[in-house]
Amino acid sequence: MTKKWSVLVGLVLATSMVLSACGGGNNNAASSNAPASANASNAGESASTEASASTDANDPAGNANGVIKASDMSLLPASAAARKDTLIVGMTAPQGIFNPLFSSTVYDNYVNDVIFDYFITVKADGTYENSLADSVEITNDNKTYTYHLKQGVKYTDGTPVTVKDYYFALKVYLDPKYDGESDLTLAKIVGSDEYKNGSATEISGVKIIDDNTIQIDVSDYDAMTQVYLGTIPFISEAYYGKGFKKGSLDSIKALNTKPLGSGPYVLSSYKAGQEVDFTANDSYFKGAPKVKNMIYRTTTDGTNLSLIQSGETDMDNITVTEDNVEELKAMGFVDVNILPNNGYGYIGMNLKEKKFADQKVRQALTYGLNRKDIVEGVYGSYANVIDIPESKVSWAYTDEGINHYDFDTEKAKQLLDEAGWKVGSDGIREKDGEKFVINFSATADNPVVDALLPIMTQNYKDLGIDLKAETLDFNAIMEKADKGDYDMYFAAWGLTPDPDNTVYITNGAQNRFGYSNATVDKLMAEGRKELDTEKRKEIYKQMYQELNKDVPAIFMYQRTNMYGISGRVTGFDLSPYKDFDLSLYQVQLQQ
Amino acid sequence: MSLEAAPVEVNAQVPAKPVKADSPWRIAVRRFARNKLALAGLIIVILMFLICYIGPLLSPYNLYDYKLTDKNLAPNASHWLGTDKLGRDILLRTMLAGRISLAVGLVATIITVLVGATLGAVAGFYRGFVDTVIMRFADIFSSIPTLPILIIMGTVLSDLKVDPSNRIYFLMLMLGVLSWMGLARLVRSQILTLREQEFMLATDALGLKDNRKIFRHLLPNTIPIIIVSATLSVAGAILSESALSFLGIGVVPPTPSWGNMISAANNLIDFRKRPWLWVPPGMCILITVTAVNLIGDALRDALDPKMKK
Amino acid sequence: MLSSQVELGISIYKPGGILMRQYIIRRLLQMIPTLIGISIIVFAISAMVPGDFITAKNNPNMTAEKAEQLRHIYGLDKPEYERYFIWAGNMLKGNMGDSLQHKQPVTEVINTYVWNSFIIALATLILSWVIAVFTGVFSAKFQYSFFDRIVTLTVFLCMSLPSFFIGLLLIKLFALDWKLFPVSGMTTAGHNDAGWAYIKDVVKHMFLPTLVLTMLSTGSLTRYFRAGMLEVIRQDYIRTARAKGLKEVTVIFKHALRNALLPAITLLGFELPALFGGAMILEKVFVWPGIGQVYLESINMRDYPFMLGFTIFLSILTLLGNLLADVLYGIADPRIRLK
Repeated sequence: MTKKWSVLVGLVLATSMVLSACGGGNNNAASSNAPASANASNAGESASTEASASTDANDPAGNANGVIKASDMSLLPASAAARKDTLIVGMTAPQGIFNPLFSSTVYDNYVNDVIFDYFITVKADGTYENSLADSVEITNDNKTYTYHLKQGVKYTDGTPVTVKDYYFALKVYLDPKYDGESDLTLAKIVGSDEYKNGSATEISGVKIIDDNTIQIDVSDYDAMTQVYLGTIPFISEAYYGKGFKKGSLDSIKALNTKPLGSGPYVLSSYKAGQEVDFTANDSYFKGAPKVKNMIYRTTTDGTNLSLIQSGETDMDNITVTEDNVEELKAMGFVDVNILPNNGYGYIGMNLKEKKFADQKVRQALTYGLNRKDIVEGVYGSYANVIDIPESKVSWAYTDEGINHYDFDTEKAKQLLDEAGWKVGSDGIREKDGEKFVINFSATADNPVVDALLPIMTQNYKDLGIDLKAETLDFNAIMEKADKGDYDMYFAAWGLTPDPDNTVYITNGAQNRFGYSNATVDKLMAEGRKELDTEKRKEIYKQMYQELNKDVPAIFMYQRTNMYGISGRVTGFDLSPYKDFDLSLYQVQLQQ
Repeated sequence: MSLEAAPVEVNAQVPAKPVKADSPWRIAVRRFARNKLALAGLIIVILMFLICYIGPLLSPYNLYDYKLTDKNLAPNASHWLGTDKLGRDILLRTMLAGRISLAVGLVATIITVLVGATLGAVAGFYRGFVDTVIMRFADIFSSIPTLPILIIMGTVLSDLKVDPSNRIYFLMLMLGVLSWMGLARLVRSQILTLREQEFMLATDALGLKDNRKIFRHLLPNTIPIIIVSATLSVAGAILSESALSFLGIGVVPPTPSWGNMISAANNLIDFRKRPWLWVPPGMCILITVTAVNLIGDALRDALDPKMKK
Repeated sequence: MLSSQVELGISIYKPGGILMRQYIIRRLLQMIPTLIGISIIVFAISAMVPGDFITAKNNPNMTAEKAEQLRHIYGLDKPEYERYFIWAGNMLKGNMGDSLQHKQPVTEVINTYVWNSFIIALATLILSWVIAVFTGVFSAKFQYSFFDRIVTLTVFLCMSLPSFFIGLLLIKLFALDWKLFPVSGMTTAGHNDAGWAYIKDVVKHMFLPTLVLTMLSTGSLTRYFRAGMLEVIRQDYIRTARAKGLKEVTVIFKHALRNALLPAITLLGFELPALFGGAMILEKVFVWPGIGQVYLESINMRDYPFMLGFTIFLSILTLLGNLLADVLYGIADPRIRLK
């Protein structure tokens, strides 16, 4: 009996850790971003390759971002110093899907990124550069893409990498039975529909010119086409293709824990839930990695700090709190890297309800909420209040013509009065006989909600609004949101490097608010179709100004992530867009 | 309790016979009142209730107060037990939490015990078909994964627009309903033994009705097991409450409970540097459990038919 | 007459044994409708729980069409009753389906993680029962003594704090302050030991999680044994045994304990599913690669093939455990007549 209960406590405590990841306001960097970056391999993470030249707007956003260098390397634990040729990275356990076609968590992708290669790879500023591609030719109508593969690249079993492997991956992505999360139909390759939903056995828009050249025709293009096409992994057809037939992918999935790629590291052993071990691929085409052995070791939030301290791991993603930053600094031998997180927390409103349909009311609710106190209460100085749904480090970010909605109860009251919500005899505002009551659905055990609810309840009471809060399972809230059966909820979105998304366009797949604004729709469509980054900047600036004025949701904050990295490890190239795994092959261990 | 598998002649002493006017229950009440430790336990529980209900009225702070400049203060003159990460008074929160946690712990336990003991006794006493039905029912109940059930429950309550502040009653109910199976099995197996004992022959001979046999003569003999279960379940329920609250069937922040106060300090740094965050709620649970156990022990002695006055 | 107790164990081989066999067969047959009932309820729950694997993923880039396609491939778009029959039919054939999260057969996922949980659970089971029997007996024998009070207080202390908290406490003391045991994990990272060295490594890592689990389960067991023992030593036949001049040790351990352990048999029945069920929260605290956290994750992510498969697996163990308890109880106490 007691046993059952303690299991239950366990269940839910642990759940809430997981849930808060999606529910927003969670502190574990990688997980909230997981869904977004999980599909880095394709679906819609983007900034066009052309953009690379023009964007340099990456001054670190917040006040507390940057690197705090290790102060005293003599404090390095002996166990870490003795590990001369091995780097141990602490992280959440992957699911064991070591195939970029099927993986769907950021942790599996950490594994896949060091094993597999792509035509292009992301740079620290969020734009892309060529990786396996030697060059790319694009016709003037932006509908034909010719990729030239670098010469002489080999898989780690010695067989050559060819564009046939690229085509093979393409066929798997477009297979009718493909059950991964990537969506390559968005690339609009000619013939993909006939292959996926028809009886075609080849994709007509793809032409293999020779082992190193492939030409792809698309029926339509947008700013993301190049990213879709460039981030298809090379997986050896000779290795994975045995037993592959259209409509049967089991033989490929059976190799999930035995990956073969051309990347900087080779998986040498995998112990589920414990560790993934790698050895360096000495013939890596960008040069042999400098660290011979690498281990991804499973850690969790509660103890990852202690593991760095005891020297059992060399680096880990640590929740950003003032306590943790202090702790890492005090260790002395740790470099503390604080980076803005690609995502933002927001309060969603059901715009189908009359009270929220009024722009003035939404503005009033934003003015009337002390967002600064909430954010400071949770993250201290390690998060910023935001007013547009974009990362401060994105090239699309703008502060021009943006209203900051600083906490102002009087202004809020005035707006509510203008909107026709008058204070009733009981101190609660009412209009047309309806009381201003908000039912707030919150994911629980979420640090943001803990700070949000007391402050919001008080703030809104001052405005004459009665806030009734409930806590619910994250999925339950999302289902209510999808059904439109809610007033208000708190959640967070992950952001892709490209500003294009479907959250604020009319009937967009992720538009849970029921938001519809013709200006935003038009600008979003324009931005998607435009390939010139300077022109896109202008378009998105207007779009964000419109969103800022119209307040489709109450935007709350952009927080930060933190990597604690032992001072003995040097050479990482980290940015909000370029995670640690992409520069592992350049990293060195100081002896 | 009679777990003895002792031979007949040794066990000749039949438990206190139901002499008129001196029913086992009445004897028990008298014995209980005479037990000092039990009274101490009872006084502690009552005192806890009083402090939790009256204390907050005397506090200069209120539930929604927060003050970021006063966060994580150690105990001091204006905050006797310190403050949490939003600068809220721990003393006030511990007392407010007690209102929730004490009620949840005790009510859920009472439900568990009533349901578990009754069903267990009935199953053990009647055996056969009744036993099969009740026990298979218990099997099914213990096989159902609790977490999804609670998620559904939370969603339904939300869909029905049940006022969040009333959902705590559903929580007590759910905790009770989800945890009677263990006790039912324990009680049943004891009753299976007890019903074969000689004193039951006597009740047969006296022509007692079934419910009198069960509730007057069999169940009192299983009290020790019930007491142990009950003390364990008080603590279990108090800690589980915080878990259930996450799923929408319990309290909503900022309303505190002892369970969610401890859970909020779930990292090594708070653990080490700020004991005032978790010691007060932890101590309260400990005191409550100990008090309940004192009462329980006394109850057992009081109800033990084999003990002479 | 005391010796008659020793004979009790033999009685199943006598005519009663046939009855017992019939009883077991009948109970096994009863398991069929019970399991069908469980499968329907569990499936209904999984269907009623808000959200599915796709919504749980909450992928900001997924289009509505893609979500439909995936639901079709996962079979989530069919009506519930149809899905139930497909699933139940496959289960009968021993096919639990593929985990949506792991893209692997459910049986394989269970096999990967369950044994890690099992070794800790088994160690905990043995340790906690041995400790609980002794402390329970001594607590009872010397009721209200200093020893009894210390044990009682410790038990309550363990109960008053959530398990993750006790886990953190032990990590702080044993791993960080005294550096006696590793902080977390099951093996030392990067070691590919085999044989004896491997076993030593694992034992070192499992010490702390086992200790916490043992503390938690010993607590309640001790209370049950103490209560049982307290009852028994007040019985007349114990007095008789002492009067006969038997040694106290013999009286306590041979005559009293045997009877005091009777309710423990029921508790033992609960241990069977617990052996394989994993410890969700402590596995997380100690980063132990067990099945508990995988199960929890499957519930959160609405990975219904795994969630259902593992639930049914645990249900079968629960039913068997309870049957085992009833049978053992009948053997230990032949006066019981299970109809």
